[in-house]
Amino acid sequence: MAKASSMRQFKAILKKDIVMELRTKEMLTSMGLYAVLVLVVYQIALSQAGASFDVLRIAAGLLWLALIFTSLLGLNRSLVHEKDQGCLDALLLAPVDRPVIFFAKAIGNLIFLLMVEIIILPLFYFFFLAGKTLGGPLWMLPLPLLVGSIGIAGVGTLLATMSVNTTGKDFILPVLFIPVMFPLLYASVAATSAVLIGDPGYLTVFWNSLALGAGYDAIMLLAAYGLYEFIIGA
Amino acid sequence: MTDPHITEFALEVRDLSRTFGARKALDGVTFDLPKGAFLSIFGPNGAGKTTMLKVLSTLTNPSKGSAKVMGLDVIADAVELREKIGFISHNPLLYPDLTAEENLRFFADLYGIEDEEARIDELLNAVELQHRRLDAVRTFSRGMTQRLSIARALLARPDVIFLDEPYSGLDPHAMDILDALIAQVRDQHTFVMISHDLAKGLELCSHALILARGRVVLFEEKEAIEPEAFSATYRKTVGMGVS
Repeated sequence: MAKASSMRQFKAILKKDIVMELRTKEMLTSMGLYAVLVLVVYQIALSQAGASFDVLRIAAGLLWLALIFTSLLGLNRSLVHEKDQGCLDALLLAPVDRPVIFFAKAIGNLIFLLMVEIIILPLFYFFFLAGKTLGGPLWMLPLPLLVGSIGIAGVGTLLATMSVNTTGKDFILPVLFIPVMFPLLYASVAATSAVLIGDPGYLTVFWNSLALGAGYDAIMLLAAYGLYEFIIGA
Repeated sequence: MTDPHITEFALEVRDLSRTFGARKALDGVTFDLPKGAFLSIFGPNGAGKTTMLKVLSTLTNPSKGSAKVMGLDVIADAVELREKIGFISHNPLLYPDLTAEENLRFFADLYGIEDEEARIDELLNAVELQHRRLDAVRTFSRGMTQRLSIARALLARPDVIFLDEPYSGLDPHAMDILDALIAQVRDQHTFVMISHDLAKGLELCSHALILARGRVVLFEEKEAIEPEAFSATYRKTVGMGVS
């Protein structure tokens, strides 16, 4: 028997996760519904803010809060699903290098997060930005979303793997995730805010924040690559 | 890396220990098992049986000592070793939302099976699930799921098959099918089985091992076993409880 190529194994794990999610829609449905509920709660919370209140100033923060909390829901499910069925052991018993499992799981989580963002963004626009003039060009908006989502999926997959074997996994993941994500969250909010508001010098803020976010992603993905074997085997 | 062909043993376990905090799940376990043997492991709950299987199958690292499976070290040669082992548990280790065929194809990809289609066909026929190949595993009975689990474990033609209480929860018919499947492939593999069923374990084995509090109480070839004395030793160890 020839050893399977890492690419074949990567594609198999990714395809399996996508097929199972499209079949059950467990993660996408729960994330999508949760995101919509968060937007509705925002709407209620801001309903008495008054006509002079410019929601555009805080829109980026609201958007990223919704994305962070929604992603926590999905990240928790992605590994718990494997653990509940005992399938994580089957995956670990196979001759697969652990970083291959990490990258397949992280890319799967990134795809699901991007799918949810495609649902959230038009709703967010409808709820909070309709009729307002954005400060920067619209084409810039997906960039911080992509950089932020890559970090959420990568770091989130690592931390979800750490927390899946703990008794309080629903509590442990957010406790680990939010502090570790702080630099990326800060950079993503700053870059998104720069595009939405368009204050003078917004291009400098945008590109600097984006570079900070991309640097964070690179460092954390490298760290996750190195640590995953130890963490998943613990 | 050790050449697996230079050893006559399927398992070489030396002073193997595994601790969880202050608790010793395995404590200085040492034994050799020849290739082609069928080892039945008995012992009370918490004796360290499952921990030993997890260490030997690379799911858990030992805290002390060493273990080789087919001449490959469970830590240093873990990835290569995983190609040579199959694992059947009371937990099916299958994805319930995938079909039988999708499950086998997924694991065939992970193990790098070259004749994927032919091998899946062959195994589905062997476990009599060809007619259900396109059905989701969640619609299967316990016995059918366990048969598919056996197909998954045999997929990569492993040298050593670990069985963790494989008869648990099976009805008599499913047990007969599992017996027949093991008999079919008995000569082609080394088996290591955990069992609480003394009669079944002794019927299948060539070697028997009793574990209690993480230690080997008895390890003998079947020919050397006197059933009543063995049974008495087993009952005594069950009374010893956990570590």
